[in-house]
Amino acid sequence: MKKQYAFYIDAERCIGCFTCAMACKNQYHQPETVIWRQVYPIKAEIYPHRERAFYSLACNHCENPTCLNVCPVVAYSKREADGIVIHDQEKCIGCGNCIRSCPYGVPRYNPVLKKAEKCSFCWQRIDAGLKPQCVQSCPVEALQIVDLATFDKPDAVQYPPGFPKYPKLNPSVRFLVPRLPKIIGREDI
Amino acid sequence: MTESNNTLGTQVGKCPLSRRKFLKCLLAAGAVATMPCGLLRPMSSRAEEIVYEGGYEFFRNACPRNCYDTCSIKTSVKDGVIQFIEGATESTFTRGGLCVKGYGYTRRPYSPDRIKYPMVQEGRGTGNWKRVSWDEAMERISKKLLEIHDKDGTLLGLALSKYSGNFGITNYGVEGMMTSLGYTTRLTGTPCWPAGIDAQNFDMGDMWCNDPEDMVDARYIIAWGANPAWNSVHSVKYLYAARDRGAKIVVIDPILTQMAAKADEYWQVKTSADGALALGMARYILDNDLYDKDWVAANSIGFNAFAEYLKNNVTVAWAAKESGIPAESIVKVAQEFATAKPATIWIGYGLQRHVNGGATVRAIDALVAMTGNVGKTGGGARYGHLQTWGFNYHALLQKQPEGAKGVPGKAEVKGDFTFTSDDAAVDYSDRILNINKTAQVILDADDPPIRLLWVSCKNPFSQDFDRNKMLKAFEKLEMVVTVDQFFNQTVEMSDIVLPVTTLFEEWTINASYWHYWLSLNEQAIEPMYEAKSNIEIAAALSKKMNELRPGSCTFPTEIDTKEWMIKEFNQGVYDLFGIKSWEDLRNGPVKAKMHPASWVDLKFKTPSGKYEFKSELAEKWGHKALPEFKAPREKYDKYRLLTPHSKFGIHSQFINLDWSEEFNPKPFVYLHPKLAAEKSIDDGDTVRVSNTYGEVIITAKLSTVVPPDAIVMYEAWFKNNPYNVQNVVDDTSSDMGAFKTGQPGVAIHDQFADVAKV
Repeated sequence: MKKQYAFYIDAERCIGCFTCAMACKNQYHQPETVIWRQVYPIKAEIYPHRERAFYSLACNHCENPTCLNVCPVVAYSKREADGIVIHDQEKCIGCGNCIRSCPYGVPRYNPVLKKAEKCSFCWQRIDAGLKPQCVQSCPVEALQIVDLATFDKPDAVQYPPGFPKYPKLNPSVRFLVPRLPKIIGREDI
Repeated sequence: MTESNNTLGTQVGKCPLSRRKFLKCLLAAGAVATMPCGLLRPMSSRAEEIVYEGGYEFFRNACPRNCYDTCSIKTSVKDGVIQFIEGATESTFTRGGLCVKGYGYTRRPYSPDRIKYPMVQEGRGTGNWKRVSWDEAMERISKKLLEIHDKDGTLLGLALSKYSGNFGITNYGVEGMMTSLGYTTRLTGTPCWPAGIDAQNFDMGDMWCNDPEDMVDARYIIAWGANPAWNSVHSVKYLYAARDRGAKIVVIDPILTQMAAKADEYWQVKTSADGALALGMARYILDNDLYDKDWVAANSIGFNAFAEYLKNNVTVAWAAKESGIPAESIVKVAQEFATAKPATIWIGYGLQRHVNGGATVRAIDALVAMTGNVGKTGGGARYGHLQTWGFNYHALLQKQPEGAKGVPGKAEVKGDFTFTSDDAAVDYSDRILNINKTAQVILDADDPPIRLLWVSCKNPFSQDFDRNKMLKAFEKLEMVVTVDQFFNQTVEMSDIVLPVTTLFEEWTINASYWHYWLSLNEQAIEPMYEAKSNIEIAAALSKKMNELRPGSCTFPTEIDTKEWMIKEFNQGVYDLFGIKSWEDLRNGPVKAKMHPASWVDLKFKTPSGKYEFKSELAEKWGHKALPEFKAPREKYDKYRLLTPHSKFGIHSQFINLDWSEEFNPKPFVYLHPKLAAEKSIDDGDTVRVSNTYGEVIITAKLSTVVPPDAIVMYEAWFKNNPYNVQNVVDDTSSDMGAFKTGQPGVAIHDQFADVAKV
C-alpha cells in the first residue's frame, strides 16, 4: 500500500476539550461558520452520558474522495506522496458541488470568499517538518497522524458506532472507541 | 500627557491587511471608512488563504490567567501581526500545546469587540459611551481623587477591586499605584482557594504540592473534586501515563465530570459530604492497621488523638450514609489506597468552596499523611504551591506620598499572592475589607464611604457574589473606573473604562501555582489602538496627579514595561531556576531545580516541625484542633445549585470571543432527567432557576452527568447575553481562609435553588 496519512482518533483518551478545533482556527482564522475541525459529542445511544465522549473530526482525506470526483474545475487534488486531499481555493468557483456531495459534510462554504474550503491536513506544516496544528495541540495525544501503509493497531476501527460508513470512499481515519468507568452512584437518591 | 502614538492609523501602516481576520475585524469595527491609510483599499479581490508559510518572527509569551497550567506560548508574528500561536515545546508540561481557551488568544488583540480607547459612559448601564483622550480620562479621575482627598483628609474613599484576571507579576503595579496615591481601601482575601490554603498550613505549615509531572510515578490517584480534563488539560497525560504503568484512577465528584468519565472508578459523592467520606476511609485504614506507623511516629504529632476521634465518632456505615457512597466501595478503595505505594490525592478547589471546605481538606490531608504518602515522589496531598513566586515585587512596592493619612495604626495585609511584609512601625494603614463580600462591604463602609472604585484584573459583576446586592452597592459609588479589554458586565456599570494591553502587548513574567515552570512574556506586537498596560496606566495617572498637585502620587511617570519586568528578577529566582539572566528565558521556559516531591525532607513548617494531625494553631483560629467532620450548610431551597467553571473559559474570560462562540454559543442549565421529570421540563425548554437572591432564565439540557438533586450551571460571560450565575449565589463564607489570606473564603457551592418551566 502507498503512503496514506490518516487521523487517528483515540476516543478513549479524548477529553473533548476542543483544543484541536481552536488550534485549527488559530492557524487558519476561518470566518464564522467555516469549521475545518469539529469535536462531536457521541450520541447517548452509543455512550450513555451526554457530552462525555467525543469524536474529533475533520476531512478524512479519503482514498477515493467524492469532493475531488465532483469538482468541475479540478480544484481538488490528492497528493501522491502521502494521500493528503488538497483544495485549491484559487481554482474554486464556489459552485458547491463538493459541499453537497461529501457524505461526511466536510467542505464548508466560506461566505466571505464565496468559495468552498476544508481541512488541508496542514500540508504546508507537514512539508516544513511539523505536525498539523490540531495534532500538535492535543494535550492527551488522543489525536495523531498515522500512515495507513504501516498502521497496525488491532483494536482500532475505521467505522466506530456513530461514524457513517462509506466503504467506497475509504476514509483515511481510524478510531479507538471510548469506554465507561465503573460508576458508583449515590445510595441516598 | 501626550497621546499614545500607537493609534490605529500607525498600526495599519505596519500591517499587510489582506489577511482575512484583519479585514474582518476592521470591517466589523466600522473602522474602514475612517482609515487614513491607503493600504486598506484593495480589499483583496483574489481569494487568499491564510496558511503556514514559514519565516515567522517568534516571541515568548505566557498565559497570565488564573489557571493551573499557566502555559508557555510561542507566538509567530509576521509584519507586526500575530499569525498563530503554539505551546512552547521546551516545556515538558505543555509539550507544544495550549488549550481551547489559549488558542483563542490569536484573535484577542484583534477582536472587533475590544475596548479601543478610554471611554466615558454618561449614565451607568446606558451604553452611552463617548471616546475621550487618555489625558481627559486621567484628568477626570485625578480631579475626583483630589476631591476625595480634600473632603475626607484621606484616600480611604478609593477602593481597589483586583484579583486574578492577569497574574503577570508586573501587574502588581496596580496595588503599587494605590499605595503611591496614599492609604486606600483594599479588598483582600481570595474567592478561589483560601479554605484549603489554611487547611494545608495547619497540617503542614504551607501549601506545597508535588511537581504534577511526578504523578506518572503514582500507583493510585484520587482526583477529589478536581476535573483536570477541563481545568488543567496538560496534567491529564500524567494520570494516563500512571495508568499505563498500572495505577488506578478514582474520581470523586458530585458531577460525573469529564475526568470522571476517563477514570477507572467514579464516585458520585453527595455535595459537601467529602469530609465524611475521607474520615470513613481513615477509620477503615486505622482499624485494619493499614496506616504507616513508622511514618506517623517519626513525622507527625497528634495521631493518637485523631485515632481516638475516629474510633469515637466515625464509622464506615456513617460515612456511607453521609456521603451516599456504599460502604463496600469505601472499604475497597480505602484498602487499595492504603496499600498502593505511592498513592496521591489531587484536591480540587471546588471541594473547599463550602462552609466545611477547610475541614474537608484537613480530613483528606490526614488520609494522605496517615498512609505515609506525604514527602514522596508520586504521592502527596496535591493542592497548589507558591514556591516559585520569589520575585522582587518591584511594581508592587511603592511608597505613600509624604503626609498621607489612613487608618491609624498598623494593619496586617495578607493574601494568597502577598509575598511581601514590612515589619516597620507605621502611623497609618490601608483599610482592609473582605473581597468575598465586596457588595456588602461597599454598602457597609462609612467614614469615609467608598467613593471611587478602581477595578482591574477582575470582573466583580461576574465573579463576586449576589449580583443584585452588587447593583445596589454600585449605586453608592460616586465613580467607577474599570480597566479591561471587553465591554463586560462590570464595564457596563462603570463610568470610565480604560483599555488594557493583552499578553502580547506588554512585557512580564509568569509562574504557576501548580507546575514548576517559569515563563517570560515578551512584547510580541505594538499595543493595538490606545491600550496601555496596567503599570503604564499607573504612570499616566501619576503624571496627571502631579501636574494637578505636585507630590500627590509617588508612582514613576514614565514606565518601560520591559525594564520593569527585568526589575522583578533577583539572584534567588535565577538560582532556583538555574539561569544566569532573564534573557535565558528567551530560549524557552525553565523549570525550578526542586525535588519533585514536596516536603521530601519531612521538615514541616508547622509550630512543631511535624505533620500536625492535631493543630493548636487551627484551634487558635477558631477551628477544631483535629480534622473533624464539620456539618454542611443547611439547605435553603429545593435543590443544590452548583456553578463550576466551563471548559471554554476562566471566569468571565474567553467565552465572549467570536472564535469561542463558534463552539460554545450559549449557556445551559444541566438537569438530571429525573429532576426534569419532577418539574415537567423537557430538553430545550426555557426555565427559571431562582432562589431568594435572584433568578436566571436559561435553556435546559437534560443529562445524567449531574446528580438528580442538583441544578448545574457553568460560570461564564457570554457577549450580548445577560446570563450570570451570580444572580443566584450568595456571599456566605467558607470555614477557613482568614489565617493565611486575611479573609475567609466563600461557600460558592453551598447554594440552593428551585427550577421551573417558564
